[in-house]
Amino acid sequence: MIDQIKIALGQVSSKVGDKKHNLRTMATYITKARKQKADIILFPELSLTGYVTKDRTYELAETIPGPSTKEVEKLAKTNHIHIINGMIEKSNNAEGVVYNTAVLTSPEGLIGHYRKMYLPTHSIFEEKRYFRQGYEAPVFETPIGRIGIIICYDIFFPETVRLLRLKGAELIACISASPSVRRNFFEILTAARALENTAFVAYVNLVGIQDGLQFWGGSRIIAPTGRIIAQAKYDEEDIITGTLDYTDIQRTETFVPALRDIRPELFDDLGDLSRKL
Amino acid sequence: MLLTPSILKIDPEETQQRILRFIRDYVTKTKTKGIVLGLSGGIDSSTNAALAAQAIEGSKTFGLLMFERETRSKMDVDHALQVAKQFKIRIINIDITKPLNALYKSIPAFAESDLKSKGNIKARTRTAILYYYANSKNLIVSSSSDKSETMIGYYTKYGDNAAGIAPQQDLYKTQVRHLAKHMKVPNAIIQKPSTPALWPNQTAEQEIGIRYETLDLILYGLEHFMEPSQIAEQLSVPTKTVESIKKRWLLTEHKRRMPLTPKLGFRTVGKDFRLPYDAEEE
Repeated sequence: MIDQIKIALGQVSSKVGDKKHNLRTMATYITKARKQKADIILFPELSLTGYVTKDRTYELAETIPGPSTKEVEKLAKTNHIHIINGMIEKSNNAEGVVYNTAVLTSPEGLIGHYRKMYLPTHSIFEEKRYFRQGYEAPVFETPIGRIGIIICYDIFFPETVRLLRLKGAELIACISASPSVRRNFFEILTAARALENTAFVAYVNLVGIQDGLQFWGGSRIIAPTGRIIAQAKYDEEDIITGTLDYTDIQRTETFVPALRDIRPELFDDLGDLSRKL
Repeated sequence: MLLTPSILKIDPEETQQRILRFIRDYVTKTKTKGIVLGLSGGIDSSTNAALAAQAIEGSKTFGLLMFERETRSKMDVDHALQVAKQFKIRIINIDITKPLNALYKSIPAFAESDLKSKGNIKARTRTAILYYYANSKNLIVSSSSDKSETMIGYYTKYGDNAAGIAPQQDLYKTQVRHLAKHMKVPNAIIQKPSTPALWPNQTAEQEIGIRYETLDLILYGLEHFMEPSQIAEQLSVPTKTVESIKKRWLLTEHKRRMPLTPKLGFRTVGKDFRLPYDAEEE
């Protein structure tokens, strides 16, 4: 384990349905990240395929491992970097079952993946129409830290990040495809999740326009105190890097002892009441 | 929720930039050469023109002046020309009086007294001409519809809303005014009464029967699932006024949809056939 890592956020604009183009874009950003000595780079939700894929979702889905994860593995190995990217995952067991998934790849190969647990199906979002929800929130033990992953709307549910934190996550990677009208929500929630869990949060968002829907970018790296370490531009492609010092977590915990003060007995009530909602 | 005028406040610069990006993106992805739009001298078409000219270039924006004898006013023509000059838009002046008269004469059931049916011919004739330019010059037709008029169906079906894009359709009229002011559309245009110009002396507020300042707050309340009685109480207007606006909104849904069709197949156009317009083929 190392105390410090350098993280890069690749705030890209994806072309809907063009995985080859999107993989080339990723390769360009990975080269840039490597030049800046980043240990890991994150790409937004569904950036391999584009977010607004609608009925094209099924034809763009791939198994894990599959052709695209093999390509990402090559990029990770060649550039000696960890990569988190979003893609449409096809179930290995049922042809028509797809997931909104984030994949974590190391220079040594595929580490694992996370399937989005909360699928927004309201307003302009129609994820439940296509995707099956995930059931697991793994924390990945890697040479560059213990990493938990969430995807976009998951951040509205503090229990998800809290669970990852209690499992030992030091870095919460949130990959996102958030449209412009929701910027304010995410600016609040990303800082809140970092602070209330005294963990680093890396939030990477799409930019560009898909099917008329605009994504605002504004990717950011947030310290356990809620402080923004680095922030990308709004509405434009960008790459940012920042250094995470994991020893800051312990220091922050003495000042903001949120984990120490957790009240386990409340979780029983939360469970009961949420079932009866 | 408190329905005060401030609730309709927009960040005009942010709004403008979002719309400009939207227009640029659409023109780029559709590989078209520019935009064609109607220029009536009114606030909606002037703002639409300003947005198009700033998003692409004035030289790639074609403003069609399609006035006709019955509703033409010197002030509107002057305003349309003023906007074209200010935003460096290419203008094409087409008097549609003759084609309209030819159409009226060719319809056996035509009745001069049926203002609505006659007026709608004017709007659809303008659309036909806009699409002639769109086809022949590879341009996108941009509609100047706003949210207030779209929600209550105050437009001609397949007329003034027939377009490839409607950049300001998610802005209420009072918000369009705010944006227009920010974009330096002349004040005289912003302040004069809106008219669809379907018949002489027609003004939108008079015909709708309510001022846009009130209408927009009613629609905002309905958009946010408020009950008509709550809206009426807050705005100190009769509940029946809010109910009539709500009814108008619901009854005109057919205007905002693809033509309805019975579900017969596996995936049905307009119902459960969902495709992104901008997907690329690898």
